[in-house]
Amino acid sequence: MQMNAVEWLRLIIGCLFILTGMVIFFTELFGVFHFKYVLNRMHAAAMGDTLGISACLIGLMIFSGLNFTTLKMFLVIVFLWFASPVSSHVLSRLEAATNDNLSAYCELYEDVELLEQELAGAGEDKNTKEKEASVS
Amino acid sequence: MSKEAIYHPLFIFLLIALSFMLLVCLIRAVKGPRVADRLMAVNMMGTMVMVMISVLALLLKEGYLVDICLIYAMISFLSVVVISKVYIGIYEEQHHKQEKEEGGYADERS
Repeated sequence: MQMNAVEWLRLIIGCLFILTGMVIFFTELFGVFHFKYVLNRMHAAAMGDTLGISACLIGLMIFSGLNFTTLKMFLVIVFLWFASPVSSHVLSRLEAATNDNLSAYCELYEDVELLEQELAGAGEDKNTKEKEASVS
Repeated sequence: MSKEAIYHPLFIFLLIALSFMLLVCLIRAVKGPRVADRLMAVNMMGTMVMVMISVLALLLKEGYLVDICLIYAMISFLSVVVISKVYIGIYEEQHHKQEKEEGGYADERS
């Protein structure tokens, strides 16, 4: 069975998507071994859960064509988009609840108002700087 | 060139690459100094296994394997949430017990 132009196009586009997914998985693994602390590593790991698997499954969906398998793969992607942020959040809460000297790894605020004040101050500084830059 | 001759080696290569990445994830799960590290690595392994199952579904031309992939995603999510909640509960219980014991000793000394 010879392949026509449309099938070649499908193969190339699907391969590009799968290649993107594999590169993202590789980046995820690199990040997981590169960072020094769990809350940093989680940032890299959550990327592969959503973006990596979406790219891989979209490539496989293009290979598969229009049928029920494609629909199920789409459902897997949609489910992971909802589930992955929740599981990352729960994992970070686990880390924050069980680590006794968390302040050795990251900056902690005893009071939420302090953080809000600092964020508001940073925003104002940025705005004034932008204004100054636009004036000059 | 037939369709089969292109897709078959491609899927086999994909499976081999994914299994190497899975092994590296396993190293992280064994090395991880904290519990959250290990759980995160297991979550990553689950993601890669999902891609492997989908590739196998296309390689063997069995559509129902993608159903297994969907169920695998749900169970993986559920396991991460349940294990974290249980671990937080156990940790806080032990913490309270320790504080109570320390308080008791302080009372005896005084």
